[in-house]
Amino acid sequence: MAQGSLALPQVRTFRPGPQLLRLIPGVLLLAAIGWLGKLVEQSVAAYAKVHHLHLPNIEYVLWAIVFGMVVSNTIGIPAVFQPGVLTYEFWLKAGIVLLGCRFLVGDVLRLGGISLALVVLELAVAFSLMTLLGRWFGLKPKLTSLLAVGSAVCGVSAIIATKGAIDADDEDSSYAIAAILALGAIALFTFPVIGHYLHLGDRAYGLWAGLAVDNTAEATAAGAMYSDAAGKIAVLAKTTRNAMIGFVVLGYALYWAGKGQAQQVKGKASFLWHKFPKFVLGFLLISVLATVGVFNKQQIGNLANLSRWAFLLTFAGVGLRTNLRELRLQGLRPFAVGAIGEAVIAAVTLGMVLVASRVFHL
Amino acid sequence: MPDDARTPPRRWRFRLTVDGWAVTAALVLALLVRLGIIHRVPW
Repeated sequence: MAQGSLALPQVRTFRPGPQLLRLIPGVLLLAAIGWLGKLVEQSVAAYAKVHHLHLPNIEYVLWAIVFGMVVSNTIGIPAVFQPGVLTYEFWLKAGIVLLGCRFLVGDVLRLGGISLALVVLELAVAFSLMTLLGRWFGLKPKLTSLLAVGSAVCGVSAIIATKGAIDADDEDSSYAIAAILALGAIALFTFPVIGHYLHLGDRAYGLWAGLAVDNTAEATAAGAMYSDAAGKIAVLAKTTRNAMIGFVVLGYALYWAGKGQAQQVKGKASFLWHKFPKFVLGFLLISVLATVGVFNKQQIGNLANLSRWAFLLTFAGVGLRTNLRELRLQGLRPFAVGAIGEAVIAAVTLGMVLVASRVFHL
Repeated sequence: MPDDARTPPRRWRFRLTVDGWAVTAALVLALLVRLGIIHRVPW
């Protein structure tokens, strides 16, 4: 399988100019699918209202993802659309930065502090568990490291960052990315069901989704599927997790360099800065601007809506990127390790969130 | 100094990571909203 169809390197660059033209068809496809999802949500709600039916409200998020998956897994994505479809990562990050306007700095510090404490616990559980499972299933040690990083921190970006730092094989990173993406797709559909079954509040559910769903796009979608408020908290918790990426990758790089199986790390501070997800700084900056009153209430509403439009394109991209046949081709063992690990991590983080909800009255 | 020893003039190139583009785009949009150029965003 071509890794490019799954991998979205965080350090990828693109230049404006002619390249922008190549993006237009795919971006229009994202917009069309996302808008169709929104249209279906509104149409179903209007139909239910007119006919006095009590239909469950299925958010546009789910429709956009499902429509994207249908396109991707039936007719496929023609080459002309592919560069633009890959911009979904750009829309995701722009949407997160804009979402910063809906958090006052006090909220960020309080919820981010709670998230950070839970993230540290989650990291410890995820690393220990994935390492043990990798040994039991006889996976290659570097593949185990990649799966551990993917499940503990932030999915694809973390795997790609770690792959370069520990000199892992392309095949290993491709396996790990496929497993994390497949599990992310499953989480999208199971987390909201479990959340509703357990009657979780928006904050508790959002925190859980942000802690337990691996890829940032899937975590954002899983939160938004539950409610707008849950989506907001899921983004904050996931952003806190993302901020840990540099430390985790550095730890693994030092570990494998110590074994003589990766290059030595020169300049730990610059390594950390290089790996740090810069959109987190943008999120914090917008949050600070909102807190000091740079934007009035209407302007904050406008920025929040711009964030929603950016996420709309993201969710369409999540669906379009999910190719079930390619994921199936990746083999069962890495997927089994990932699935068992993710199920346990989801259960443990759910327990942590329930305890935190009671202690901090979330 | 021989001609070939001179540093060739570098064309100005503007390169950013996806994170950089995302933050830049978001800040530009925030500025446009703040200035009232984007005054209503429906959802």
